[in-house]
Amino acid sequence: MSSEYPPTMPAEYADIEFENNAQRLPLVLCLDISSSMAGAPIQTLNTALAEWTRELQEDVSLSYSVEVAVVTFGGRFGVCSWRGPQLLDARAGVSPFVPAHMFQAPQLAASGVTLMTEALELSMRIIAARKAELRASGLQYYRPQICLVTDGLPTDATGHFTETWRRLIPVLEEEQRNRRFRLYAIGVGGITELGEQVLRNFAPKFNARIQGFPFRELLQMMSASANAEQKGAGDEVFEKIFSQFKTQRPAWES
Amino acid sequence: MNGSQDRDTPWRVHGVSVEGYRHRRSGVPCQDACEHRVVGPVTVLAVADGAGSRPRSDEGSKFAVRLAMDHFGRRAGALAALPGAKVRDALRETFLEVRQAFREHTGADAPDFATTLTVVVLAPEWIGQVSVGDGFVVLRAGTEDGVRQYHLLPQPAAVSEYSNETVFLTSNDAPDWVYDSCVKDPGVDGVLLSTDGLAQAALSRGPGGGTIPHTAFVEAVLRSLDAPGPVTDNAHDALAALLRSDRLTALNADDKTLLRAVRRGRS
Repeated sequence: MSSEYPPTMPAEYADIEFENNAQRLPLVLCLDISSSMAGAPIQTLNTALAEWTRELQEDVSLSYSVEVAVVTFGGRFGVCSWRGPQLLDARAGVSPFVPAHMFQAPQLAASGVTLMTEALELSMRIIAARKAELRASGLQYYRPQICLVTDGLPTDATGHFTETWRRLIPVLEEEQRNRRFRLYAIGVGGITELGEQVLRNFAPKFNARIQGFPFRELLQMMSASANAEQKGAGDEVFEKIFSQFKTQRPAWES
Repeated sequence: MNGSQDRDTPWRVHGVSVEGYRHRRSGVPCQDACEHRVVGPVTVLAVADGAGSRPRSDEGSKFAVRLAMDHFGRRAGALAALPGAKVRDALRETFLEVRQAFREHTGADAPDFATTLTVVVLAPEWIGQVSVGDGFVVLRAGTEDGVRQYHLLPQPAAVSEYSNETVFLTSNDAPDWVYDSCVKDPGVDGVLLSTDGLAQAALSRGPGGGTIPHTAFVEAVLRSLDAPGPVTDNAHDALAALLRSDRLTALNADDKTLLRAVRRGRS
């Protein structure tokens, strides 16, 4: 923050007590941790998550507005949600959303199959539930964001490619038409043409196939998108941020 | 904008608009504006919030408050003389004149200047509000059991589930969303107008779930204007610093505007 503007309260107003009623921006990171992500990719992801968390917390506004939830597909349990570093038991009914200023990144390990469809379904469910909680508490919110990241194809529980992802198409179409959330679908590493086609169907405008594993840039793009949401930017700004990300230019240039 | 120098008017007025954290960090100008004008015994107040998604909304908000001063100022005498029952229609009519002038001047580019507009007219017999968008107005009126009472003037229903979406002066259906109110209460001795950037700081949730003023905030910003004499630079800077503080930024990163008026000789 610029020192030109003292961030502290002037003495005359120092005793005002404020409520914790910031406008919330739910953000779901829906991450592929299946076996193909093992080794360097998952390490890069863990490092990028930790670094992004620090950057997010340095932003006075995003740190109190953004609420982060992590959903993973792969690993021992198939599809999981995380409350910060803590793996949640789906039956416990605990919300995975953590205010960014309190968020701690989980340590993810790669193994297992790619239940991408189920993970996206879980992401949509937790967003709907969080909106209901926010409304019930009288808190205002911005349009939530989901960031789907994968290097593979949707599979069933035995690891075989499955067409079940197609059941999501009409659902996602309607949800996005009704502006329930913004979905970014990003293919990394060795994602195939077919994998890319799945992502194109999920997010017709906001899909990308990126060389390597640029998780840092990807997460920065999510912050830039959150920043644009706070500014009330028009759709063209989100498209610009995304296209800059696709061409690997700094997202903050928007 | 600084404090009113019109010492023989019944109200002391002061307001400020500051750029929000997001705009400050990216060098975007403040898209909020506020103004006031004293015409005889009538004081006109206006705040506006330019749409973040529109390229010239900073000009739009400034233009809207200036037009509000011109049109409401010109009709101030006639408005003040109206019987209570006619006030709301006249306010609405004048507001629609402002909208008409805004659209005529900006022409086909009007959407680029999109802005909300909230106008308050302080007449000797009544206080009127007319508005489109998500600005809000809080009144300080009297005491109950020794405790100051604060009232939020009626607000329109939200237009979408998202807090950063609203109706603008330039929206085609804006006339359907214009809302107004008129209060006849000589006990009103403080008025606060704001854009939605301060909604989290200045408003709260009542026991019944409805929106009510956040007393601690409204009380503090009106009390500081109760001090007799012209508004000092220090008082102006303190209010601007409050609006730019990290604490308020954490609640809302948008531009912020606070236009406040208190009756002289009361506190």
